[in-house]
Amino acid sequence: MGRSRHPRYLGWTAAAAVGALVLAACSTASSSKSTTTGGVKNGGSITYALDEDVPGFNINMANDAAFVLAEILDQVWPSVFITQPNATVKLNTAFVSSAKVTSTSPQTVVYQINPKAVWSDGTPINAADFIYNWQAQSGNPKYKDVGGKTFLPASTSGYNQIKTVTGSNNGKTVTVVFAKPFADWESLFGEMIPAHIAQKAGFNNGFQTFGPSVQVSGGPFEIQSYTKGEDLVEVPNPKYWGPKPHLSKVVFRFILDDNQDAPAISSGEVNIVNPVIASVGYADSIKAISNFTAEVSPGLEFQHIDFNESNPYLAKLNVREAIALGTNRSQMIQRIVAPIFSAVSPASVSKAEVLNNRIWMPIQPPYQDTSSGAATFNPTKAKQLLAATGMKMGSDGYFHPNFGKDKGKDLTLSISTTSGVPVRQQIEELFQADMKAIGIKINIQNYDASTLFGTVGPKSEFDMIQFAWVGSPFESGNQSIYCSYTNKAVCGENWDHYADPKVDSLFNQALTTLNPTQDAALYNQIDAQLWKDMATLPLFENPVYYGWSTKYGNVIPNATNAGIPWNAQDWGLKA
Amino acid sequence: MGTYILRRIAAGILVLAIGTFFLYLLVSLSGNPLANLMANPHISPATVRAARIELHLNEPLLQRYWTWITGVLQGNFGISTTGQSVGPQIWPRMWVTLQMVIPAVVIAAILGIGLGVVTAVRQYSITDHVSTGFAYLFFATPVFVIAILLKDFLAVKVDNATGHTILYTIGQNNPGTTGAWSIFVDSLAHDVLPVMTLVLITYASWSRYQRSSMLDVLNADYVRLARAKGLSRRRVLYVHALRNALIPVTTVIALDFAGILGGAVITEIVFGWEGMGRFLFTGLTGPVSPDVNVVMSALLIEAILVIAFNIIADVLYGVLDPRIRYA
Repeated sequence: MGRSRHPRYLGWTAAAAVGALVLAACSTASSSKSTTTGGVKNGGSITYALDEDVPGFNINMANDAAFVLAEILDQVWPSVFITQPNATVKLNTAFVSSAKVTSTSPQTVVYQINPKAVWSDGTPINAADFIYNWQAQSGNPKYKDVGGKTFLPASTSGYNQIKTVTGSNNGKTVTVVFAKPFADWESLFGEMIPAHIAQKAGFNNGFQTFGPSVQVSGGPFEIQSYTKGEDLVEVPNPKYWGPKPHLSKVVFRFILDDNQDAPAISSGEVNIVNPVIASVGYADSIKAISNFTAEVSPGLEFQHIDFNESNPYLAKLNVREAIALGTNRSQMIQRIVAPIFSAVSPASVSKAEVLNNRIWMPIQPPYQDTSSGAATFNPTKAKQLLAATGMKMGSDGYFHPNFGKDKGKDLTLSISTTSGVPVRQQIEELFQADMKAIGIKINIQNYDASTLFGTVGPKSEFDMIQFAWVGSPFESGNQSIYCSYTNKAVCGENWDHYADPKVDSLFNQALTTLNPTQDAALYNQIDAQLWKDMATLPLFENPVYYGWSTKYGNVIPNATNAGIPWNAQDWGLKA
Repeated sequence: MGTYILRRIAAGILVLAIGTFFLYLLVSLSGNPLANLMANPHISPATVRAARIELHLNEPLLQRYWTWITGVLQGNFGISTTGQSVGPQIWPRMWVTLQMVIPAVVIAAILGIGLGVVTAVRQYSITDHVSTGFAYLFFATPVFVIAILLKDFLAVKVDNATGHTILYTIGQNNPGTTGAWSIFVDSLAHDVLPVMTLVLITYASWSRYQRSSMLDVLNADYVRLARAKGLSRRRVLYVHALRNALIPVTTVIALDFAGILGGAVITEIVFGWEGMGRFLFTGLTGPVSPDVNVVMSALLIEAILVIAFNIIADVLYGVLDPRIRYA
């Protein structure tokens, strides 16, 4: 899970941008070549509008872990697994012919690299690359970047559990042994940095400016040119050993202001769009353009409200349950999300639904409603629960607690989010009205993103906090959010002073369960327990909007962190 | 004159020194470049600590300012938060801004001065009323509205009518264009809309300045005398009147020019040009922001330009008007 802000950041999933949990088969790789849905011809170019420039070019480095860079590198740096649109993964067989768990104790994974796999400068892709990618992201101070500097990885998740990585068979067989089992092993070795370049140029600083280092590719495309703030051009990698891409050029154009997309599409300068925030105005501006199609769907990013249990009122389960029952989530969807769906097509409105799981999103096969009605709108029951805690309804329509700072006064709580984000302001305002109806006074107190995520959240200086999490195919990232806050080393993301030993032990089981079916069930059990404890209140998924010119074939939206270019090698002008 | 200029330059340097100090404090305190890393659950505290050292955030603020200012004096603008040298990034961006601003200023000046003269000479004529109307319209319209109208009602219409992209709505050029002539034509096609936008918002006020200053001059005694002497109307207008009427407008243009050079922020964002304006904007709002070295470099250059053009405007005033003498 990564925390979502505007613009988009990848969070830890950067490292895993191109992998995901294979749910069907545990260890072996079935197939890889992505789907081809229609006949396309070779040649031609396409322009994809990105709403921010890249910070640098090393997606695995802390400062560079931006969603747009993950999209750009989809086709450049090789990944063992490729995330599919339904947030499952497939082995990238062009790169690795198999990836198998050969032992569960200790967990051992063996990768067979395609013997033909080479970097575009002719250096073979082999075990040295796996070893370097592990060491740089291991968080182990023993391994150093050039100049003796500490590596600055975007994530150490999983890599920090690897004991050894060894090569054999002329470097084409890689054996990874884990110190302790890591269920999300398929998240590892995504968008791999070329070791022979990084070892010379440096992991932290060698890929910060465009140059020959950045142009080395191990995928179907290579980066031909980059003009800061303007565009980045990819052309087919002549040394690529797998199926050749159809297009002769993919242009990523940086258009910071999404409002500029519509005229650029109309005049033929842009062919694919995926705005950071889908809005009705945006959808309307594009609707009128001919030969252009659009699709909106619930994404992996979801809005939620968290309760700080160090607040004496929110510490009470009754109060949290009352808030959940008193929140009209369907109304939030009708007001905030549904209009965007209906702006694209009235038929798609039914896709906008309340979210009843924090760990699995509805596009993922294991999704279940685990809430048992804990957040089904019922203001009457909400008031009963508040009264049951000994609060008395005052003449002004607010409950008066018989304890704590609000004793004998209106029950008052604050809610905080990032200022200047219209969707979040709307959520807060609707929430405020809902809470008034059940007798809780809500103060809105917002902060800029760096204060909210840098200070207010981590220091738990809030009553309730509202923001979005970005789901991923890999669920281990949820542990640090929901495990007991008392375990500071592991549960640093639990800002809510929430603690439940049952959840802790379920996480420990889930993280070491290598059978995907059992693993998925465990995560649903965790979520059911989170509902019982009313740890947080998930609201709805942010809609994701994609539009593309109908003259291109095989363009398939992918709301995961891979982004729409996940299968760009299949894109082409319709034959 | 020489001493005057030297004194003005010395004062300008003092203003810069004081200004940069306070700006540095303000920019540095306006946010935490590490917030993005700290908000990411899977970036370890050790990584954040290492990043803090790499960005020198562990040093006291005054020491950071001292490092920055002494670096700048040696021509070193420091490193951005994403690890790139700031200095080499400035000139390409300035060049981008110049490609937009110079044609715009030249065209706007010709248009503004020309229309100002015509409307003053033909005061209260139809031409005057129409020109005044448009000048107020453009003056009152926000720049992004003009830009969007030009995109929707000019570029899109032309491109759809011809079936080709002739006028571009985004970017400085088409990536991958080769050949000097093709690149020139391509740049020109990308230049049309942003230059038109800047021309429309700047010529409007300049034409009003020119009109009123021309009217002042036309009603002056010496102009009447020149006519009475029997000089041709043309000679009186262009040699006697215009030269004097240009003085106030010249200073306005010089000062405005400095402002636009600092980055036509909105125009650059709307048209996706990576010039000085967007350099500053992304330095303030990017993922690892505030990017103090980037923001400070942009502000420093803008401050130098404003001070320099103030001095230039004063000097020009003296050159154009022999009555003015600086001591």
